[in-house]
Amino acid sequence: MPVLQQIKVPLVSVNDTSLTVVDILFAHGAAVKKGDDLLVLETSKTTYDVVAEADGFIGYDCIKDEDYAVNEVIAHIYSDVAEVPIEHTIKKKKTEITREQILAFDGETIFSTAALALMQVNDISKTAFAGKDFVSKAMVEELLGIAHTGIALNKTKGRYFARQDISVDVSKVSVQKLSKNKKREIDYLSSVQSTGLTSTIYTYVDTAGIFLHINQSMRFLKNALLPAIIYETARLLLKYKLLNAYFAGDAIALYKEVNIGFAIDIDKGLKVVKVQNATAQSLTEIEDSIMALSNKYLDDTLHVDDLTDISFTITDLSAETVAFFKPLVNNRNSAILGISSIDKKLNRCTLSLTFDHRVTEGKTAAQFLHELKDRLESYQSKYYPLLNQDINCFKCFKQLKDDLSDVGFSKCITPKGEEAYICQSCFKGF
Amino acid sequence: MVVKNVNHRLIKQALTIRTVEEKFLLLFSEGKLNGTVHTCVGQEFSALAFAGQLKKQDFVFSNHRCHGHYIAFTGDTRGLLAELMGKASGTCGGIGSSQHLCNNNFFSNGIQGGIVPVAAGYALGNKLKKNDAIGVVYIGDGTLGEGTLYETMNIISKWQIPLLIVCENNFYAQSTPQSVNLAGDIRARATAFGIDTFKGHTSQPGQLMEDASRAIDYVRSQSKPAFFLVETFRINPHSKGDDDRDPDEIQSYRNRDFLNIFKKEQESYYNNYAAAIQKEIDDMVEQITTEPEQPLAGYYEQIANTNSNQWKQLQPVNKRQVELLNLFFKEAITANDTMVFLGEDILSPYGGAFKVAKDLSDIAPEKVFSTPISESAIVGISNGLALNGFKPFAEIMFGDFVTLAFDQLINHASKFHHIYNKKVNCPVVVRTPMGGRRGYGPTHSQTLDKFLVGIDNIKTIVLNTFFDPGIIYKQIYTELHPVIVIENKTDYGKKILHHQAVNFLYQTNDDAYPVVKVRPAAALPSLTIVAYGGMADLVNNLLEAIFVATDLIPELIVPSIISELPVEIILQSVQVTGRLVVIEEGSSFAGIGAELIAQVVEKAEDKIITKRIAALPVPIPSVQSLELAVLPGAERIIEEIKIHFL
Repeated sequence: MPVLQQIKVPLVSVNDTSLTVVDILFAHGAAVKKGDDLLVLETSKTTYDVVAEADGFIGYDCIKDEDYAVNEVIAHIYSDVAEVPIEHTIKKKKTEITREQILAFDGETIFSTAALALMQVNDISKTAFAGKDFVSKAMVEELLGIAHTGIALNKTKGRYFARQDISVDVSKVSVQKLSKNKKREIDYLSSVQSTGLTSTIYTYVDTAGIFLHINQSMRFLKNALLPAIIYETARLLLKYKLLNAYFAGDAIALYKEVNIGFAIDIDKGLKVVKVQNATAQSLTEIEDSIMALSNKYLDDTLHVDDLTDISFTITDLSAETVAFFKPLVNNRNSAILGISSIDKKLNRCTLSLTFDHRVTEGKTAAQFLHELKDRLESYQSKYYPLLNQDINCFKCFKQLKDDLSDVGFSKCITPKGEEAYICQSCFKGF
Repeated sequence: MVVKNVNHRLIKQALTIRTVEEKFLLLFSEGKLNGTVHTCVGQEFSALAFAGQLKKQDFVFSNHRCHGHYIAFTGDTRGLLAELMGKASGTCGGIGSSQHLCNNNFFSNGIQGGIVPVAAGYALGNKLKKNDAIGVVYIGDGTLGEGTLYETMNIISKWQIPLLIVCENNFYAQSTPQSVNLAGDIRARATAFGIDTFKGHTSQPGQLMEDASRAIDYVRSQSKPAFFLVETFRINPHSKGDDDRDPDEIQSYRNRDFLNIFKKEQESYYNNYAAAIQKEIDDMVEQITTEPEQPLAGYYEQIANTNSNQWKQLQPVNKRQVELLNLFFKEAITANDTMVFLGEDILSPYGGAFKVAKDLSDIAPEKVFSTPISESAIVGISNGLALNGFKPFAEIMFGDFVTLAFDQLINHASKFHHIYNKKVNCPVVVRTPMGGRRGYGPTHSQTLDKFLVGIDNIKTIVLNTFFDPGIIYKQIYTELHPVIVIENKTDYGKKILHHQAVNFLYQTNDDAYPVVKVRPAAALPSLTIVAYGGMADLVNNLLEAIFVATDLIPELIVPSIISELPVEIILQSVQVTGRLVVIEEGSSFAGIGAELIAQVVEKAEDKIITKRIAALPVPIPSVQSLELAVLPGAERIIEEIKIHFL
């Protein structure tokens, strides 16, 4: 038998239907010994070493940085070096975009008809585009700070900001390679944070009794702050436009719509999903949006539209007993709001806001946070202290805190002449 | 005694041929042969008279009924048996089998008549080499219906090519008696072309051998063609089981068959010979049966199509394309002994309809052949020259006429290397101009590239005006296999890189057939355009207008080979732009655009928007306004891009 071992992509985790070959450890056709590591696969979480089960000659049917489906054959060990097929039959699965860019151009600029029309309407001079070879409508829109909502077809390769080779001593540490998702996340966060020009401010919201009202609008998300925070933040952002914006080189791009993104991470990787045009949605509608997006996240049916054009992000760590934390601003955002856990004893919850100093400044951010705190606390019932007392309807013995009609009980004199309370339903029965 | 004057060695050879063929029929009936066999039982002495009497340096071209010719010329009975039994040790590794044999100077092919001009080309090669070798091409009386035969007879007579055409007349074309299909006289056909004719019959082997020898000497000594009509009887069916002839008629052939008479008159000799031959063949077959067949890997290997990603700047050349073409051919024909140039109307002072061959016949009169209007024979003769070690460049005056040579391209040039199990190469080059916009109308304006790229193992090259076409022809000169070059009528008069759109960079890569990329100077493109040949020049003049009108920044990619497309390069551009438009001058259905887009989409990871812009699917009108409407012109290109992408 010339083939001693056929190596297939293993099923390492049920979430990963394909794995990435991140390292090939031998030359094609090289001699290998039983127990040698042959190649390294990467799942969404970790890396996995493939080990030789026999002495022989390795023939790879895969190439580095390509994804291969579970059960796909990626290598063979042959008994004879002559059996190893020629390497070039391995098909490269995808082509990297390699394109050297010329940045300086001193020729005459050519404008498209559509670009010229937009420039005329907005009274933009051609000199604004000196140094460009071609000016299309999209470039004029970019100058005007109009978010480009079409399919973004111009792509550049991810920069992976934090990439640097740091030497590791493998006798002291074990190495886990970064997944593509993680690298993408690093790129996204680095684009704002790497300037060092962000700042975080904190406040707390008095949560005593505020769910009394909020829960009435909720069908699923009882005792959760996120829906109300999305609702109130969206409306505040119409006033605080610089927090619904991003830094665009020598300009600030202001989003025309408030699309609030919230972060989810339920074992399928961190994703920020979009509540589209949140200012137009009622509290109930926002709850529906959150539920729908969460289900899509869990079913892996999120569409690219659910993940793009997010103008402001909220990250909710309230389920993790976090006292307070500093969130990181996303790419093409100027701020992010963090929700910590509610302290049940003190009845309060920390809100944190990290903002891009290039776009706005501390005072504006503080005013925003202050207003948000006030709006959230306004959900509090004025009669909250009373709720903790034992006030019962003398007829049906219903407790005041169980009254969901939000009308309250009436004081009355009972037929026995005693002072007591009566609920609306019993009262109407009279 | 009929048989007394015939050499017994000859009789044994005839008996060998017959025994081998009857063995084939037996093996076939036992299910041990794949396909079919056409036996020459009854016709054996025709094989021995001609193929058997040639010298080793001579050659034989044969047809579907070729086993006898093969054994008579090569003596390689074992190779033939193994070939038909599909074994790797067969003369062509089992690839060609019964009808497609090749061994040294023996070639056969299963197409009626198509092999005749190839034989003429091979003979012309010998004449150019002055090596005194001649050859025989066998046809049957059924082949007399094929036109390419008459194209070739005209040429071999006119050019005094030493080729002996042997017509084996067994009075049937497959199952149809000659009286149904054949008009006039057979020998008169050759006589009409001024070719001397001979006649003989296989029932008189002694006489036939003498007459055949005389004809061979005539062709060799006179360096002239001849036509030999051999009357014969085919005792077996055309192939197998397709015989509707009267059994009495067949019996009359059997009674007159020389070997049968020999058997009757000299029974003990016959039985001795037959037994010995039978044993020899049975032993061979027994041994061959155990042999392996050729594995696929030995026959076909996928070759990865890779493109260079090294780009360098293109420079204009202040010469017209046709001048540079003419310059290349003048230099090449002087520098290379093996180069031959053929075509219609190419002699000085005319120098071809588009002047590519200007002055060529003055420089190398012996290697420039002005042909009659015979496209099939032009390409067939070129194929024969190529098999004989020459580098022929055949010019087809208008691309539309390439259809007349299709059989030579598809069934001959593209196949020889493979069907003969890679023993031979056929490095023929066929050049032809295509394209409209000159008002030449429906049959002189077409772009038929899509019909050519479908031929496996022929490279289809398309010239453009971005760089010196000599670069392409230098590469073509080194090719070992057939190449078709599509030139463009309207490009001939243009200077190289005469128009450079502002704000674009003109680059080319290091591919053997370079790809041209016209890219925006600084901006990222947002529309990938692929155009080639004459359309590339037109689109190049349109780049700025496309941007201004559509708001899409174009990048133009111009392949110069279209039978293998530079998909990687196009993919790299499309990954940036997300939009791909292919512009071709032929109609779009099953065209180059369809193929290219399919290949790009198969490899692309992201969704891309694609579009083909092509000629309308009607004949190209002569009237200018309609011609410009049918072909993809500036206005339509911009309009279709706008509608499709915006």
